[in-house]
Amino acid sequence: MVGGEDKIREIAGRLLREGEVDLIIGYEKGTLPLRSTPSFIRDQNDLYKLIWDPTCDINLSKYLHGRDEKIGILAKGCDARSIVVCGSEGQIDMGKVVIIGLPCSGVIDRKKIEAEMEGREVLEATFADQSLVIRGEGFEEVLPIKGFMDDSCLSCRHRNPPVYDVLVGEPLPEITGANEYAEVDELESKSAEERWGYFVEEMGSCIRCYSCRNVCPMCYCKECFVDETMPAWFGKTNELTDTIIYHLVRAIHLTGRCVDCGACSRACPMDINLKALTKKAEKIARERFNFEVGLTTEEAPVLGVFKEDDSEEFII
Amino acid sequence: MNHKVIAKDGIREFIDGLIEEYRVFAPVEGKKILRLREISSGEEACLDFYNTKMSSKEALFPQNEVLFTYKKDREAIEKEATSPMKREQVLFGVRPCDAKGVTLTDVFFSSGEHRDQPYLEKRDRTAIVGLACNRPLNTCFCTSTGGSPFGKEGMDLLLVDLGERYLVEILTERGERLLGAAHGLRDATEEDMKLAQRLSNEADNAFSKELPTEGLSERLDGMFEDPIWDTIHQKCVGCGICTFVCPTCWCFDVVDEEKANGAIRIRLWDTCQLPLFTLQGSGFNPRPSGKERLRQRVMHKLNYFPKEFGSLACVGCGRCVRECPVNLDIREIIETIMSM
Repeated sequence: MVGGEDKIREIAGRLLREGEVDLIIGYEKGTLPLRSTPSFIRDQNDLYKLIWDPTCDINLSKYLHGRDEKIGILAKGCDARSIVVCGSEGQIDMGKVVIIGLPCSGVIDRKKIEAEMEGREVLEATFADQSLVIRGEGFEEVLPIKGFMDDSCLSCRHRNPPVYDVLVGEPLPEITGANEYAEVDELESKSAEERWGYFVEEMGSCIRCYSCRNVCPMCYCKECFVDETMPAWFGKTNELTDTIIYHLVRAIHLTGRCVDCGACSRACPMDINLKALTKKAEKIARERFNFEVGLTTEEAPVLGVFKEDDSEEFII
Repeated sequence: MNHKVIAKDGIREFIDGLIEEYRVFAPVEGKKILRLREISSGEEACLDFYNTKMSSKEALFPQNEVLFTYKKDREAIEKEATSPMKREQVLFGVRPCDAKGVTLTDVFFSSGEHRDQPYLEKRDRTAIVGLACNRPLNTCFCTSTGGSPFGKEGMDLLLVDLGERYLVEILTERGERLLGAAHGLRDATEEDMKLAQRLSNEADNAFSKELPTEGLSERLDGMFEDPIWDTIHQKCVGCGICTFVCPTCWCFDVVDEEKANGAIRIRLWDTCQLPLFTLQGSGFNPRPSGKERLRQRVMHKLNYFPKEFGSLACVGCGRCVRECPVNLDIREIIETIMSM
């Protein structure tokens, strides 16, 4: 995926020039090492800013909500699936979106790199083909990108956008044989008490900043249930009874809609493993309804339709 | 002699001594997250760190705080105040940016006619042991906001890590009393002082750049309607991370919660970045979009507060820079404003 930038700039430039879009949403270099930041480009002269490397971890489809312009958007496999979901749920006018598809070999997980650095500050990071060169004061380390990739990417089923208008480069071979549910399986194998203990520990540090909700393209409710005041469904503190309801309800709302892009977990400042819940919800949708979300614009929301042959083993 | 030296081996014992007399809060690493927590032994304190994830704000102005409990029957309402702090407390290992943040918090909660009793009662009974920053992060910009890595504002004692030992500077009488719990102190020598000065200079020089903050507040006058906010806010996703990790964001909400035998009134952190913050009973919201909300945060910190109280409401700790999920960097916002 390193080196596709020229192609991206060329495609974006053409779309702007030919008036197919008014705005390109992509990535540009962030102000910190290992960070990219969203880029909003309307002017040909700004195209040079666009980048494409394993720091491009933000799910940009979040920015499609509530816009009237014609938009060209850079989308990895997971991002493109998010766009499809929002489109099928009537939130995005697909006729105004040009998906510039990015075959993606995975994005990095900064928290893994930070852990590896054991307190040493990363001051500069550059990417070579399969490796990442980290520099700090008095040290330089070459790390294999794969070892520091986001967990979602390690077992990603759709590295290539299933839906796109233009594809940057050639499709990548899909990953086979990875057990994407390893963590969910492990949690399932524990006793109810152990699982409760795990979630108490995880959710206990939540500060209710709602970054998980606000980076999620599927969280677009005009008024989120946590913000409702008449009635207030539950308390506003960050005590466990309140935080855990927030996370549970959010996971349920995402069932059959979450594409497992991992944006929520990456955004969480308290390092909460939010994916433990959303991945389980995704697994349920897949096992019960044989449903994988975001693959075609023709799809109907799995929990929004009834089929006679729907699995009903959970109905008492 | 205002400068003492304590061996690193002695610092845990010093903290243990403090614990006998005070509640002591120190940086503690739990679940990969470093934050100030009450400790029961000096061994728990982590004193080799860049900075805590959350600022020391949470020790004095916690995210949830029960103001009082009350019971209501047909006749009357019976109110019971939250019991005051039984013991004085010490915040140990607070970085200079956060200690400066506490001084601004004091201003916020005590200015004019509005004296906030729940905060001030705690504050009056809180001592702060600072820890100078030998290694500022590349996200730090305290020197651009009127602070410094060896700043002393808001502290009772300042510790400087000299390698095998700490230099301890006594800044207040309260600080001197705290030192009563320390054993094995000796007077600082000229060599100790020189080393501390050298480390201070090195820390000052470690900042990659200085932000142009001179005249920043004035520059923002008249910029309320400027089209620049349309671009600045574009990437903001509107979560509350920046305000919650900020040592100088103090907005709060007050709610009542019913419990089994009565009710409690709680004060909890609120954030101007969420729509509910300004949603009025009529349904009207004067800050309907992210643009107005981000503008509010920037203006409050860099224009309104300075005009009212003479100091930026930003201590340059860099937490919002580090934690923002989309890398919206307030340093860039400042540079953009100053370049206009």
